[in-house]
Amino acid sequence: MTTANHVEKRGALLTVSDVSLTLGGNIILHGVNCQVEDFVGHGQVVGFLGPSGIGKSQFLRILAGLNKPDTGSVLVTEKQVPVEVGMVGVVAQHYPLFEHKSVLGNLTFAARRAGSKRAEAREKAMAMLKRFGLTDRKDFWPAQLSGGQRQRVAIAQQLLCSEHFILMDEPFSGLDPIVLDEVCKLIKETADAHELNTIIVVTHDVDAAVAVADTLWLMGRDHDQEGNIIPGARIKTKYDLVERGLAWRPDVVYTADFSDCVREVRKQFWSL
Amino acid sequence: MRKILDIFMPNKTVSHKVMLSIVVVEAMAVLLVWIFSPFAFLPTPVEVFNALGDLWVNQGLAQDLGASLLLNLEALFWSSIISLGLAYLTTLPAVRPIVIAISKGRFLGLVGLTFVFTLMTHSGHSLKVALLVFGMTVFFVTSMASVVASIPKDRFDYARTLRMNEAHIVWEVVVRGTFHEAIESFRQNAAIGWMMLTMVEGISRAEGGLGAMLLNQNKHLNLPAVFAVQILIVFIGLVQDYLIGVGKNLLCPYAALKLDRR
Repeated sequence: MTTANHVEKRGALLTVSDVSLTLGGNIILHGVNCQVEDFVGHGQVVGFLGPSGIGKSQFLRILAGLNKPDTGSVLVTEKQVPVEVGMVGVVAQHYPLFEHKSVLGNLTFAARRAGSKRAEAREKAMAMLKRFGLTDRKDFWPAQLSGGQRQRVAIAQQLLCSEHFILMDEPFSGLDPIVLDEVCKLIKETADAHELNTIIVVTHDVDAAVAVADTLWLMGRDHDQEGNIIPGARIKTKYDLVERGLAWRPDVVYTADFSDCVREVRKQFWSL
Repeated sequence: MRKILDIFMPNKTVSHKVMLSIVVVEAMAVLLVWIFSPFAFLPTPVEVFNALGDLWVNQGLAQDLGASLLLNLEALFWSSIISLGLAYLTTLPAVRPIVIAISKGRFLGLVGLTFVFTLMTHSGHSLKVALLVFGMTVFFVTSMASVVASIPKDRFDYARTLRMNEAHIVWEVVVRGTFHEAIESFRQNAAIGWMMLTMVEGISRAEGGLGAMLLNQNKHLNLPAVFAVQILIVFIGLVQDYLIGVGKNLLCPYAALKLDRR
């Protein structure tokens, strides 16, 4: 049952429990806890927001199974199994693709990695190209694509391989307002394509994160009584944008609630 | 005027036609410098051209050229197999020290190794092949190992997120992903092969070859003939370079798409 401010939830899709990480003697993450629940009838976009250099990318690597935390665990999917590399798709900041494969080749390859036979993989790849409006680019090399097209191919590739879970590292970095709107739209469309689709966006862009996410987790570090930073980022605040009525609204960025929320998050940002 | 100035501006992209004009003008300049050179001992272009004809008709230049071509190709084949195999094996930590040690062989002179290789081989031909393979491999393996080592970590991570196991990653990311660079290294080593060929053929002259012919002409101070052989080697090198480039464009058409200054 979904209303503007309420959505039915069924179990967890992602559970991060007490994740800590130390690299080269520096505490990067300290006791990170959060849980992403499965929204019935909706795919979702989850944002992890935090200032640059706080350890978001390391956190993303742990969520992707590329790094193991020193302590704690990350459980994914409806079955809540420990994350292994390959279970979660990752769209890195510069949208890596196999440069020696065509666009269609990249997508077919990903589908085959997910277990499809050759003909079936090609069919799935063609369907994905159609969904992302890239059919006329199927024979292009990645080097011939624009930044936006490349991003769409990278997302499509990860969707074909990891099916429902995709992590995106700084997808809004360095984009002009028009492209930024397009990327937000693409992320929302990708999430809405299947109710189990979960897009996790790791970013420092407050406006874009509030515009695109259903749930926002603000990462930051604590301060001692003298105001000095205590090393190790953790989740400071959770913003439930569904409860606030800011999720699944195409015109949300023009509303006063959106501006208020952005202001609130920004204020919190300064204290991190 | 603007176009002329453009060719002296850093990082300018010029059309194929303009680049061809630059090449023609510079080649003519070289020819003029040669013709009007103040060094009287230098043979004139006409003398060199006549010497080339004489070498071809009377002194078996065609056979020597054939012998050198075959020798170079054979050595290139073996050095490519060995070098690429070793470079790709640097993904195994156990192999890296071995490859580093082999790459240090660049500092060794071939002359110093001739005796050892003579004892290890059974004929003049195999001695020449062994020396050339060694000489080319130490350079080829160095450049390709460097290519493999410079693959960014995120390429491997990207492949891992696509559920690829490590052996598959080596194939897709290391072997296929750097194939265009392997062809480029191959091209450089094919040129190094010609440079060493003359020396190697001088060490063992049993089968003739351009190197042996060059040394013979040098010994008799026949400079027009020396120049003729050298120019022939440059010409063969240019054709070889061109053909490898064509092959690279056919096999890896994506490689040229990222180049800024074509």
